[in-house]
Amino acid sequence: MISMFEHIIPLFELVVVSYICGALFSLLFRKFGSGKPFFIPTIIGSIFLIVLSLKVIIDGSSLHFELAPDNVFSVNHFLIDGIAAFFLLLIGIVSLSVSIYSLGYIKEYIEDKHVTVFGFFFNTFILSMILLVSSNDVFSFIVFWELMSLTSFFLVIYNHENESNLKAGIIYLIMTNLGTALILASLLLLSSQSGSLSFESFRLSSDSNSAYVKNIVFILAFIGFGTKAGIVPLHVWLPYAHPSAPSNVSALMSAIMIKTAIYGLIRIIYDFSGVGSGVTDNHEFVWWGFLFVTIGAISSVVGVLYSVVEKDIKRALAYSSIENIGIIFIGLGLSIVFLSFDLIYLSAFAMLAAMYHLLNHAIFKSLLFMGAGAIIFRTHTANMEKLGGLVKGMPWTSLFFLVGVLSISGLPFFNGFVSEYLMMLSFLSSYHIPDILIAISVGFASAAFALTLGIVLATFVKIFGISFLSKPRTDIIYRIKEVPHTMLAGMGIVALICIILGLIPFIGITMITHAFNLQLPPNQTLFSFEPILSEFGASNNLSGLSLPIVLMIFVSILVATLGFLYVVGGRTKQRISETWGCGFGYFNERMQYTASSLSQPILHVFRNFYRPSLAIQSILYHSSNSYMKESVKIQISNKNIFEDLMYGPIISSVFKTYERTKKFQTGKINLYLLNVFVIIILLLVYVRLSP
Amino acid sequence: MMPIETSASVSGVLIGIIQFLVILVLAPLLTGIMRKIKAITQKRTGSSIFQTYFDIHKLMRKDEVVSEEASWIFRFSPWIIFSSTLVVALFIPIFVVYSPFGLGGDIILVIGLFGLSRFFLMLAGLDVSSAFGGIGVSREMMISSLIEPALFLLVFIVAVTYDATNIDTIVSHAAESSVLISASLLFSFFGFFIIVMAETGKIPFDNPATHLELTMVHEAMVLEFSGKSLALIELSQSIKQLLLISLLINFFIPWGISTSFSIAEMFVGLLAFLLKMISLGMLIAYIETKVAKWRLFRIPDLIFLSLASGLMGIIFLFI
Repeated sequence: MISMFEHIIPLFELVVVSYICGALFSLLFRKFGSGKPFFIPTIIGSIFLIVLSLKVIIDGSSLHFELAPDNVFSVNHFLIDGIAAFFLLLIGIVSLSVSIYSLGYIKEYIEDKHVTVFGFFFNTFILSMILLVSSNDVFSFIVFWELMSLTSFFLVIYNHENESNLKAGIIYLIMTNLGTALILASLLLLSSQSGSLSFESFRLSSDSNSAYVKNIVFILAFIGFGTKAGIVPLHVWLPYAHPSAPSNVSALMSAIMIKTAIYGLIRIIYDFSGVGSGVTDNHEFVWWGFLFVTIGAISSVVGVLYSVVEKDIKRALAYSSIENIGIIFIGLGLSIVFLSFDLIYLSAFAMLAAMYHLLNHAIFKSLLFMGAGAIIFRTHTANMEKLGGLVKGMPWTSLFFLVGVLSISGLPFFNGFVSEYLMMLSFLSSYHIPDILIAISVGFASAAFALTLGIVLATFVKIFGISFLSKPRTDIIYRIKEVPHTMLAGMGIVALICIILGLIPFIGITMITHAFNLQLPPNQTLFSFEPILSEFGASNNLSGLSLPIVLMIFVSILVATLGFLYVVGGRTKQRISETWGCGFGYFNERMQYTASSLSQPILHVFRNFYRPSLAIQSILYHSSNSYMKESVKIQISNKNIFEDLMYGPIISSVFKTYERTKKFQTGKINLYLLNVFVIIILLLVYVRLSP
Repeated sequence: MMPIETSASVSGVLIGIIQFLVILVLAPLLTGIMRKIKAITQKRTGSSIFQTYFDIHKLMRKDEVVSEEASWIFRFSPWIIFSSTLVVALFIPIFVVYSPFGLGGDIILVIGLFGLSRFFLMLAGLDVSSAFGGIGVSREMMISSLIEPALFLLVFIVAVTYDATNIDTIVSHAAESSVLISASLLFSFFGFFIIVMAETGKIPFDNPATHLELTMVHEAMVLEFSGKSLALIELSQSIKQLLLISLLINFFIPWGISTSFSIAEMFVGLLAFLLKMISLGMLIAYIETKVAKWRLFRIPDLIFLSLASGLMGIIFLFI
């Protein structure tokens, strides 16, 4: 193990200090309502973080830090290796753009709320994620994991006047604590095997653990981290918590918080379980990968199906996060499956696809949540049925949002396309798998993946088309103004990264291969990119990714067409007129398609999944005449099969247990004393009788 | 055999440009031929097979009416739709296994570019805020999102069978094997044919000839376009149809396609292509006459048939 204390500029300390400053300033400068003192240290800290993580990735050497040299557990040191640096880079980029955005966005809350509290939790939340990713022992990992969960809980219930937000908060708290318990169990099981709390000892003992222990550790970690990541069926908290939080927090939660769960899983699987280390037999891990692919495919389809029928922008985006986590899980699963058949390069390739998608999702989802926040900032609603026509009043916001929409839909020239391309190539290479049944199953999973992509396109056509295009559905939008420059700048940064990562995938690919090369020392070549060609067949190189050339062709065709059309067709005039309303001449915004009706055909096709129910309530002028209706109220509601069929029984049985235990809780002190007395007697008898 | 690796040579570029022009020129003709065949089978005289050219030329010279609700997306989208379709045209070989930018011509990229044009078409449909636009977009959302998994499975089969995702390589490998070598390819062919019908708006799926709101899908989305914009959309629709048909031809029945730059072989390739294209066009027009337009919610059944044949193909591929 190489320890490096040679950092000349104490970057890591600067990062930590900046965020702590941000948190403290929020509490100290309560009088400054403008929000600047809270977010400027955050911005500085994120820039330091980006520099630090890029330095680690480029240098290719891990960094060790000790924040408090002398402490009780004597394991409190931090390690930033390639994997950690990659995740830190994500945190850096996202928190940079989100905190610039927050400078303007905080004005939404300044009038009637304590923004100081917000600033404190905001900074602590980001700091806890940074320290979580860089921690190198069970103790600090769990402490920062809990800190991250708690601070995000307080941010979720920041708008606590709204009752539904409190409900969202409590669901989040319960689910996240459930997850933490399982993660703790998994890590403690590892440490009982290695005899130390340090992650270093986990790495050393990874090969000596029995397969039995590894499987238990894996299951516990999979469920525990899976809860945080929001995989189906553990996703129930996510569509409540993400929309309840202020939009800048939703951006952080969706873009980076749920990714820390992926980070944990990668650590457990690739680092602490010795998968791919060459010592253990990899075949026993094939079911891990299979589980990942299955759960990932289910999550992506379920997530996107809920997303497409959603009317609330933020809830739709939250469901879409479930879908994207599903895609990342599929990628990780393929990587493990390939690895278990010793297809090392393909495994590396699938890992690259998963990590590229993770990077992309962090970037475009933060952009989309910030865009949704910009809409809420001006219109005070996230309900698509009340929006429309925002493109005229908010041209820049809509442009940035469009970039995000194009990216998430996986269209060429934007970053989502690259990762989906890599994912598809990973799927295609599944024919190398010698086990026929697994190969066929992976082939079937690719259909689920492609279905997801198809519906994602529909979802985001709906979100962008209904909220930004067409005629405004409420009057306020006619007078709407663009959001402040700081908010635009925050969105602009990530929008630019979307385009850069989409046009020059080389940057992202090199970064990921560099970052992940570090962590698997026995296979130094695992994440180097060249040998992939040999397993793909000679012709199939990555030249399909020469997207700048394709874009150049695209633009030149555009220009040529423009010229051709004017040469052939001559100059023509353009007349502005109203939309054709079947000749009736009276056209208003209520004649447009609504968000719900737009996705109705999809709802109909998958009606066994949604279980829609229609309730029509007519109010008649006179009870004798059922044809003369004063008004008709139609309510369409879908059944949430997970909440109703899975969580419903669990919750009701928990409440039944509460009802039973309530009998002991009479409030009479003598009864309590009796209980204590009886228990002491029983314990004494037990101690006496036991040998 | 590898595709001809002479991307820099003058003749290569020249052939590439000729192929590209052939697509541009043939596309409206194919539409005209299909309309003519349909008319004949319906005992009508029908318009000339060159009518599509006249229509497009007429539209180019017409003034445009733009809705006052429309934003820049509406004005811009015909250009994006047309350009992305033409970029695909550069990647797809027609009569010789070489396309000008074949090296970048990846089948997944092609799907992506078609997706890009569909995306902007749908946005433009919503942008004008007419209920017709909405109706078309909502139907297109359903059809296109169901097509995606079927299409990917079929591409999966083709790519794995011919060991490439690069279109040129696939076609040259297919041309070598010269027969439909496996059951999985037959399933793939069948599924792909359904998808081509769906994507080009043929009768069980859509009927572009009418403007009846019960049946419209594609026409409803483009209802507000006029003048030059409509010309671009119509032309790109024709080109897309030709591209999909030539993908179908060159993936599954590539016999006769030229693998070298010799004039004779290329001439044979072109003739064979025209023959196959016209016979496929006749088949499609015949089906269109035979079948009635299906109810909207029966269309998924047909797409699931294509998906099922993809799944069967995958099973046959691995065993």
